[in-house]
Amino acid sequence: MKSTRYLVAAPAALALALAGCGGSTGTTDTPAASGASSAAGAPADDSNCADAEVFCIGLVTDTGKVDDKSFNQSAHEGAQAAAEETQGFYKYVETQDAKDYASNIAQFTNKKYDVLITVGFLMTDATAQAAAENPQTRFIGVDQGYDAKKVTVKNVTGLIFPEDQAGYGAGYLAGLMTKTNKLGQVLGLQIPPVEKFAKGFEAGAKAANPAVSVTTVYHPAADNAFNDPVWGAGEAKKQLAQGADVIFGAGGNTGNGALQEVAKTAGAGTDKFCIGVDTDQWDTVPAAQPCLVTSAMKLINEGVTDTVVQAKDGDFTELQTLGKAGLAPYHDFESVVPADVKAKVDEVVKQMEAGTLKTGVTL
Amino acid sequence: MTTSWLTKNRTNVVVGAVVLVAAYIFYYAQNDIAPSMYASAWGYAIPLVLAALVGVIGERSGVVNIGIEGQMLVAAFAGFFAAAYSGSLLVGVLAGIGSGLILGGFLAWTSVKWRMDQIIAGVVLNIVATGITSFYYTPGQVLPGLMPSFDVPVLSSIPLIGDVFFTGTSIFATLAILAAIGVHIALFHSRWGLRTRAVGEYPSAADTAGINVEWLRIVNVTLAGSLAGCAGVYLSMDASSSFERGMVAGRGFLALAIMIMGAWRPLRAFVMAIFFGFINAVASQLQQSGNIDLPPQLTGTLPFVVTIIVLAVAAGRVRAPAAVGQPYVKGDQ
Repeated sequence: MKSTRYLVAAPAALALALAGCGGSTGTTDTPAASGASSAAGAPADDSNCADAEVFCIGLVTDTGKVDDKSFNQSAHEGAQAAAEETQGFYKYVETQDAKDYASNIAQFTNKKYDVLITVGFLMTDATAQAAAENPQTRFIGVDQGYDAKKVTVKNVTGLIFPEDQAGYGAGYLAGLMTKTNKLGQVLGLQIPPVEKFAKGFEAGAKAANPAVSVTTVYHPAADNAFNDPVWGAGEAKKQLAQGADVIFGAGGNTGNGALQEVAKTAGAGTDKFCIGVDTDQWDTVPAAQPCLVTSAMKLINEGVTDTVVQAKDGDFTELQTLGKAGLAPYHDFESVVPADVKAKVDEVVKQMEAGTLKTGVTL
Repeated sequence: MTTSWLTKNRTNVVVGAVVLVAAYIFYYAQNDIAPSMYASAWGYAIPLVLAALVGVIGERSGVVNIGIEGQMLVAAFAGFFAAAYSGSLLVGVLAGIGSGLILGGFLAWTSVKWRMDQIIAGVVLNIVATGITSFYYTPGQVLPGLMPSFDVPVLSSIPLIGDVFFTGTSIFATLAILAAIGVHIALFHSRWGLRTRAVGEYPSAADTAGINVEWLRIVNVTLAGSLAGCAGVYLSMDASSSFERGMVAGRGFLALAIMIMGAWRPLRAFVMAIFFGFINAVASQLQQSGNIDLPPQLTGTLPFVVTIIVLAVAAGRVRAPAAVGQPYVKGDQ
């Protein structure tokens, strides 16, 4: 009977191992997609990037696509705008697997690109290392916070955003809108940018309404944490059933799944609401419109464009560049959100911008 | 007859009764969270039940189906986009099921007829599925409507069971229950089932008895593809209402683990899927209640730790169909 035991155990172990890495099968098998574009009057290819006259901008996405409706897409659009403004050449590569970060960056540094944008917190180390090795290229790390003790070169800056402020504003609104005093958050991977959104949301909600309770759930897996809408929808459903009436979905497609689930629920838009993240998701996730009051935005788009233009003039002065964050327009909910709520939220957002109100979020 | 059934299944009956009583106690004691946790567990289990049945039918006929993940992915893709472009949910559902059938047919033909290595055929299927769906994905599409939900009359008024399984349920949820029962009856109480099991255990004997081994395997694996299609369509059109690249997220492989935990028996796989769903619900509940301050990565491993334990315990007791993974060559045995 000994052999039959292995007969069962071997496929069982295999199945488990494959289940564990299932997320990555979605991304590893296809070759890296890439695309190039150049504005009129700009160089047509990247063969002369080493030339001082030719300004080349490269972008490496995190394990996501430039049409992901949030994070990578914003950075991509920002880079496109920058290319137009600077008459530069622009090319991007979509990362298929986290182990390819360094080689994707090398594709650009080998051709002596002038500016390289790396998108996402997870690329922090790869970017810092590449910056040290390639002094001729300037690096912009979106969402990347560097350790000033370790990163001493001047050709890199981390573009970070006050996510906690956007989250705080959204939470403040949610705290005023809720009738059950229960809020939910369905989040992607537990990494600093997401945590700042989440903690800001909770702080804002409690500031607006001390009676409120916030249930928070992060996606447990690392591989597909931002790309599991089914999981997000399931968690949103659970939180709704437990009484939450405003759900903050923050985590790429995982969060989008939560938003869409709220949109499907009875009472969506009248007494059940959802809040999106990163970009104005009214435009990017039309299926969430029935419940989408606003989105906690970070203005990645604008931040990337500004930083690239700045990089054209030389090395960076600061190791971190602070972008902007805020709330998206209410769109159709303009008439649903009471005027006094809007006034209070506006006030809070203004105070945060002026620096008089601190969110108190620490990681 | 009844007594002999009882003695034969004593452990199952006792364990089942204990679990059921515990479930009801929890249901009434924690009425604010228990119902939503059960519903969440079942929601998580639905695609796993359907996918595990695909595995059960395939392996019972002697064909390993590693490609369930890919079948689900393509079905989720085909269903969603067919519905979005045609404006009809029904067209989407049919397209999804149809694509599941086609891929099932592909796997059956390559692995049975051409005797390609079954694992490799399945892996090929997964790679092709990932490539095709990623390439043709277009953002910004919306389903034309919501999948209808309904209450099953009479059954929905049972406490707990009615709430979870029969209230506000969908076609696929009901189908998962019916399919598990149906496959169980067919597999163990019908002529088709006897033949299928014979083909999976000892194909040369089945052949001698006049069963067309290759043909039966092809038919079974192909038709099982329709269940994988349902599982995929459920993911993109019912459980969520969007298609995203790689959205199956390992559920097809998880279903294979569940099939093994369920000892290649449809009803046990059904129970195991719910058990797995429940562990998952517990993991997220632990995280969000904030009573215990554990990092989510740690609570997130709970389902996998439990799987390892269950598999380790089960590994000595369950046995795969003897001829699984081996192509049948007439006159070779």
